[in-house]
Amino acid sequence: MNVTIESVDGVSVALPAGRLDFGAAGPFQQQLEQAIAAKPKALVVDCNGLEYVSSAGLRVFLVAARAAKAAGIGFAVSDLKPTVKEVFDLTGFANVITICVERASALASVTKPA
Amino acid sequence: MVTLVEELVLLAIEDDGAVAYTAGAPGFGMAVIGAALVELNQVGRIDADAKALHVLSKTPTGLPALDRVLTELAAQQELPIDQAVRSLFIHAPEIVRLALAALAARGILHAEEKRFLWVLKSRRYPITDGREQKEAKLRILHSLLSDDLPSPHDSALIGLAAAGGLLEAFLSTAEIARLEHRLEDIGGLDLIARGVEAAIQDENAERAKAAMLPPY
Repeated sequence: MNVTIESVDGVSVALPAGRLDFGAAGPFQQQLEQAIAAKPKALVVDCNGLEYVSSAGLRVFLVAARAAKAAGIGFAVSDLKPTVKEVFDLTGFANVITICVERASALASVTKPA
Repeated sequence: MVTLVEELVLLAIEDDGAVAYTAGAPGFGMAVIGAALVELNQVGRIDADAKALHVLSKTPTGLPALDRVLTELAAQQELPIDQAVRSLFIHAPEIVRLALAALAARGILHAEEKRFLWVLKSRRYPITDGREQKEAKLRILHSLLSDDLPSPHDSALIGLAAAGGLLEAFLSTAEIARLEHRLEDIGGLDLIARGVEAAIQDENAERAKAAMLPPY
C-alpha cells in the first residue's frame, strides 16, 4: 500500500492507496501518528485510492482518531469505496468518527469554527 | 500483562471463585473464541474482512489458548467470521481451561477443588487480589461512561463482554439498558467482535427455533 501525505491550508490529508491489511496496517499507523505529531490543524484520511480494508487495517483508523483527539486536532475520513464502506458500516465507525462522502466536506467539517 | 482471553475469563469469575458460565451456553464460549481470534489478528497470525477469516501464519504464538484456536482454524477451510466462531465454539471449554491455567501459573488466581456431599467435585478459582479483574471492569466502565474513544483492545473487550453476557456480572440490567446506545457505538468497532455478536445471535435464534419444534 502507498500512502502520500499532503497539506491543504494547514490540514494534513493522508491518501492511502491499495490494500490496507495486516501487513500494511503497522506502517500506515506510523505515518498517521507522525502526521499527527507534526501538529496540523486537523487530519483527513482521503480513502479514494483504498481498495480493501481488513480488521487489522480498520483498527488503524481507531488508533489515529484517538491520537488526533488526544492531540486536540480534528479527524475525518472521506471518499470510502463501496467495499471499504461496507466494513466501516458493519462496525458502526460512523457513530464515533466523522466520515464524509468527499474530501471537501471532510475538510469543511474539521476546519469549521467550534 | 493479561490477555484479552484472560480478561474475559476473569470477568466470568464470581466472588467465591466459581466460573459463572455453562460450557454449552453460546454467549460466553463464543466470546472467548472471539477474544482469541482478536488476539491472533493483533499478532498477525490471522486477518479478517467482511467475507472471511484468513490464516496468515501457522507459527505458534507461545500462548496455549491462542495456539489451540490457531491450529483448529488452520485445519479448516476459510469461513466468514460468524461461521468460524460457531465452528470453533466446541473448543471453548478447553480455551477457558487453558486461560485459567495460565492465570493460575502467574498467581493471578488459584485452583481449589471442593467436594460437595463428599462425592461431587467442584472446582473454583478464587482470585488472589482482584487487581486485574478490577482493572478490566474499570476500563469498561470508563469507556462506557465517558465520551472517550476506547482503545482497540478495550473496544473488543466491551463488545465481547456485552455479547457474552458478562456485563451483567457488574452492571444492573437497568444500567445496561441505559448504556445501550454507547455500547452499540463502541462495542462493535472491532470487525471480529462484531462477527462474534452475529454468531451468538444466530446460535441463540437456532436454539430458540429448535426448542419450539415438537419433540417427535
